[in-house]
Amino acid sequence: MADQPVPAETIVGPVSAPDDVLRVEHIAKRFGPVTALRDVNLHLRKGEVLGLLGDNGAGKSTLIKIICGFQRQDAGQMFLRGEPYEPKSVDDARAHGIDTVYQDLALIDELSVYHNLALRREKVHHPIPFLANREMKREARAALDDIGINIPRIDVSVARLSGGQRQAIAVARTVNSAADILLLDEPLAAMGAKEGAQILDLVARLKEEGRVSIVMILHNYVHVLQACDRVSMIQDGVIALDKPTAETSVEELTEIVVNEYRRAREAAQAEAAHAEAARLETEHG
Amino acid sequence: MRRVSLPSRHALLERALSLREGSIIVVTLLVAIYFSLTTSTFLTSSSFKTLLPFFAPFAILGAGEVFVMILGEIDLSIGATYLFAPLLYYKLAVAGVPHVPSVLIALAGCMAVGFINGFFTAIVGISSFVTTLGMLFTLEGLTLIVSHAEPVSLPGAQLTSSTVSVHRVINGAHIVLTETVVHASTFAKFLGEGTYSELIWAIVIVAVGQVVLTFTRWGLYTVAVGSNKLAASEAGVRVRLVMIRNFILCSTAGGFVGILEAVRVGALEPDVAGANEILFKAISAAVIGGTLLAGGSGTVVGAFIGALFLGILGDGLILKGVNADYQLFYLGLAIILAMTINVYVQRVRRGSRNG
Repeated sequence: MADQPVPAETIVGPVSAPDDVLRVEHIAKRFGPVTALRDVNLHLRKGEVLGLLGDNGAGKSTLIKIICGFQRQDAGQMFLRGEPYEPKSVDDARAHGIDTVYQDLALIDELSVYHNLALRREKVHHPIPFLANREMKREARAALDDIGINIPRIDVSVARLSGGQRQAIAVARTVNSAADILLLDEPLAAMGAKEGAQILDLVARLKEEGRVSIVMILHNYVHVLQACDRVSMIQDGVIALDKPTAETSVEELTEIVVNEYRRAREAAQAEAAHAEAARLETEHG
Repeated sequence: MRRVSLPSRHALLERALSLREGSIIVVTLLVAIYFSLTTSTFLTSSSFKTLLPFFAPFAILGAGEVFVMILGEIDLSIGATYLFAPLLYYKLAVAGVPHVPSVLIALAGCMAVGFINGFFTAIVGISSFVTTLGMLFTLEGLTLIVSHAEPVSLPGAQLTSSTVSVHRVINGAHIVLTETVVHASTFAKFLGEGTYSELIWAIVIVAVGQVVLTFTRWGLYTVAVGSNKLAASEAGVRVRLVMIRNFILCSTAGGFVGILEAVRVGALEPDVAGANEILFKAISAAVIGGTLLAGGSGTVVGAFIGALFLGILGDGLILKGVNADYQLFYLGLAIILAMTINVYVQRVRRGSRNG
């Protein structure tokens, strides 16, 4: 993959700002023969909402999973509030104040709404550590009311809920945590317009409060320009663009993606022509 | 007294069926009613006592198996630990170790077996079916090697008899009779020899198991891992730890029942085929009690009722004088029939709820 052309404006060296809470430098990750991330440099300023863009398979989710401690990078370092940051597990990342909404939501179908919201942060009685279900229900209700998504019953299993409701629960779980860095991997994917707007309102409110910094993967460029302060776009395992949203537009973002498709198609055609030539050569040569 | 409005009969029925174990409770009751109507001896206390060994061991084994099956895994080695634990206890006791430490060390051996099962399943990544199948053969082989395939009598369970004078009142007259009384040691009575010892152990273990499953983080994580391993690990649940400790629990239950049964019988027979049949009955108890083979769902109480169902069936067939050769045959048919009813009742139950 290393010989593939990299877009002209690709940011190769580390980028940073003085008030960064998180910096990611030269991160690389392979899965067997597949290179997911080649050399990713990313930074997140305090109180900022960063939109992470990129084609399917560009490595966005892999990057999120490395930052949140679910996977380990092959190369590169991360810095959290200026300190080297090497999360050993999801729990460890949480202890460092990083919490995540996964693309697959990480909800447990067999468990109730409130148990899902409390998972790994369960309230228990003392001295016998039985689950404090009443307390967890109360907190779940408060958390859901807080993000304004209507879920009539919180003691039913999440399997019975709609895609949007499930997504809202996953978002509520993360937003309600004590974390000050939130990683949201497609938080609007399964949502209708109304629910999606509620989540974007929530993000806007969090931004106003200024306590948390957010990295958010989105596909809809209108949402990106509306909700994010800055965009970073991953292409071919590197950051191809890093700009404040004020300096870019739907057109520019679309243009980059269209160019990428064009390049990919040309590469595929060249490869097909090459294969065809090779075939003819063996047949007639 | 506060007036409580009684729920209608329909609502009660619906609530009973909405319990995960509801359908098997109904089926078990039907079987019990059938045997009490068709035999004169089923509803007697002596019949109840003969029922116990058919049922209590499987309730405990099933309880352990439920913890592994909710994970979506299976432990095929509990029959082997059932055989191996009392042998370990026997060897230690014969070597001069006091009984209680011998039992505890034997149980620690079972925990090691469970750890190995869990390690190869959760960390090496071999399917639990294969891991525990390998463990089954290994442990049963080891049992045969160590015991030379010969039965032995257990030292702690030996009986002593003595002659005592007993006062009796017969037709108002006080008389003194001499009777021969058989004594079992307190240790033996406690561990299986006493008539109700196994039943009490079963009730205590099932109750504690159900409480752990329903009311603690251990249970919550067990269901989480069984329902969706990836999501559970993304949410920060330590999936491997949860799996390993449940395998340890299951093996320990298997070994404990082995010791109870060996002490009850007073002897240890390295019967490999019998041990495998016990394994399958334990899994049957769990499955009949509503635990899904696919994982994510199950209850310990269900395994208890499943074991009760198997026990009533076995006991009832004997009381009806069914030829011993036919018993397994009927047992098999009854399991399929019970599960069919179970599935239909659950369909009704699912239909009764919306969503």
